[in-house]
Amino acid sequence: MESRRGHELHLAGITQRFGDYVAVRDIDLKIGAGELVALLGPSGCGKSTLLRIISGFMPQTEGKVFFDGEAVDHLPPNKRGVGIVFQNYALFPHMTIRQNIAYGLEVQRVPAARLKTRVDEMLDLVHMGEFAERYPRQLSGGQQQRIALARCLAVDPKILLLDEPFGALDKNLRLDMQIEVKRLQREYGITTVLVTHDQEEALSMADRVAVMSRGRIEQIASPTDIYDRPETLFVNQFVGSTNVLPGIAGEMAGAGQQVTLACGERIALAEGSRLATGAQVQVSIRPEHLTLQTAPLDNAITGVIKAVMPLGPQVLYDIAVGDGTDIKVSVPRKRGDEFLLSGTRIFAAPVPPAGYRAFPV
Amino acid sequence: MSDPRARPDWEAVSLRLVFGLLAAVALIFLVAPTLVILITSFTDSESLRFPPTGFSLRWYEALLDADQMQRAAWNSLQIAVCTTLLCVLLGTPASIAMARSRHPWIRACDVLFMSPLLLPALAFGFAGLIFVNQMGFRPSVTFLVLGHTIVCVPFVLRTTIAAMTQLDPALLDASRSLGASEWTTFRRVTLPLIAKGIAAGAFLAFMASFDNVPVSLFLADERTEVLPIHLWQQIESNLDVRTAAASGVIVMLTLGLMIIAERTAGLTRQMR
Ligand SMILES: Nc1ncnc2c1ncn2[C@@H]1O[C@H](COP(=O)(O)OP(=O)(O)O)[C@@H](O)[C@H]1O
Ligand SMILES: [Mg+2]
Repeated sequence: MESRRGHELHLAGITQRFGDYVAVRDIDLKIGAGELVALLGPSGCGKSTLLRIISGFMPQTEGKVFFDGEAVDHLPPNKRGVGIVFQNYALFPHMTIRQNIAYGLEVQRVPAARLKTRVDEMLDLVHMGEFAERYPRQLSGGQQQRIALARCLAVDPKILLLDEPFGALDKNLRLDMQIEVKRLQREYGITTVLVTHDQEEALSMADRVAVMSRGRIEQIASPTDIYDRPETLFVNQFVGSTNVLPGIAGEMAGAGQQVTLACGERIALAEGSRLATGAQVQVSIRPEHLTLQTAPLDNAITGVIKAVMPLGPQVLYDIAVGDGTDIKVSVPRKRGDEFLLSGTRIFAAPVPPAGYRAFPV
Repeated sequence: MSDPRARPDWEAVSLRLVFGLLAAVALIFLVAPTLVILITSFTDSESLRFPPTGFSLRWYEALLDADQMQRAAWNSLQIAVCTTLLCVLLGTPASIAMARSRHPWIRACDVLFMSPLLLPALAFGFAGLIFVNQMGFRPSVTFLVLGHTIVCVPFVLRTTIAAMTQLDPALLDASRSLGASEWTTFRRVTLPLIAKGIAAGAFLAFMASFDNVPVSLFLADERTEVLPIHLWQQIESNLDVRTAAASGVIVMLTLGLMIIAERTAGLTRQMR
């Protein structure tokens, strides 16, 4: 078998227009050999369009695509060596599992003997040997997906593209398949782009996550940074949930900047914030980064508990603050704990090292 | 609300009764004439009277000597085969192109190609004759086949376009990304997956050509007599009982073909 070293993918200034509509806007993205990058974003933000550009099905309006530093824009999809796993798997319904996996090798005229060993190897890899003579419709969703992956890997693609590959699976199976795909991806060291609108999927599988919105990449960073250090309010809101409170930036006070919230409270931001004094800002804090207490707390927002929702391992409190807005606070549930009661006046403050983050409006 | 042991739900029962009756009436109207002609064809008398007074196979035996009728049947068969081939050869690529496109011109073409199904075939046949004459030709088998093709191609178009719409475009992308050229993708993915649709259309086109009267009436030359017209003339001139036997043969052959088509191509499924 050929070397299992991954290939580098570089998108340089990619723009895609459909008439006046800009579906993808000036995307620059470098993906290292063997890396798994997730494109995460709401439906319609241009993820699939970007995949079609990488795979050669759609010539981009502007920009260039490089594999290992070489431009591939002139190569049609069948010459690019990009493997795609589709959301509905797109297995050929008129071929058996074996024929499906052999298809790519056959059309690339791999000699019969090598073809057979390769197909068997792929069937083993995805533990589907006993299903070789079945037809796709006789397999479950998870099994079909394995075959789709095996069919793709059989021809040794340079780049692997996964377009919402787990969307059609139910929740338990989805987790199993995510682990399985991750294992194969590691084992093969294949450079992979995973498209998804499911943040958990992106955070759990990817080495880096690129959060997209309206054709742009808002932030590209490790899952931890995306979650803990979002650079834009969009990223903050799209990945995980967060409370957003409008306010006005004030003076620097020690390490953090002061913000006066619309609800009347004055709080200090996490270190490193530097916003123009007097600027309109949106202050964001995640429900699980807040703690609740009936006694006064430093840097707290005060409010009255409106509702208590025990959600298994977490208890979610809905709290009314000054100006009619609500915030949510999620508290881990310990055995024997009493819930705070509705109507209680409480103080909610960030648990270090988490802090309030502010984004200019 | 509906406990099966409780009072019968009269509304549901009467609804079913009405639909059942309607279906039965429709079935009788569809099947009865065919049954009458089948039964009559086994008569032992010289007349087409129904019900027959006795049973015999004499009229079927008589078919064996009916040279003229056999020649007409052979003509019809050859014309239907040629027509079907042309319909498939022209209709399949056209359907594939049209199924993919949303362009207004393509929509217009679709309506145009389908129009023979809607327009009176008699008018079309007559127009065809005038057209052929204007171009300075005389009616001939070639023009007959071309005329049949125009009125039969909609069947191939409808079933093939339906099959194309069922075809998941991701399959074609998958094939291409695995290294197959467009042509290989067509041969190994598209064609096998729409083959049943094409086959169903071909079957319908064949049948439509085989019993076409209006176009044949105008475009056949004097020497080429087709079966349906021949049968009509026999009935008109001397109430020939052999026509009943010929109809019997046609009905049975059609039934046989339909069963084969249903088994292999799922004919009715392709027409939905
Ligand atoms: N071929 C096309 N022609 C016109 N508009 C398109 C085409 N493909 C995609 N779009 C538009 O581009 C935007 C991005 O689409 P897509 O990349 O499929 O989004 P995503 O995969 O993130 O849901 C959408 O608004 C979509 O309507
Ligand atoms: Mg998409």
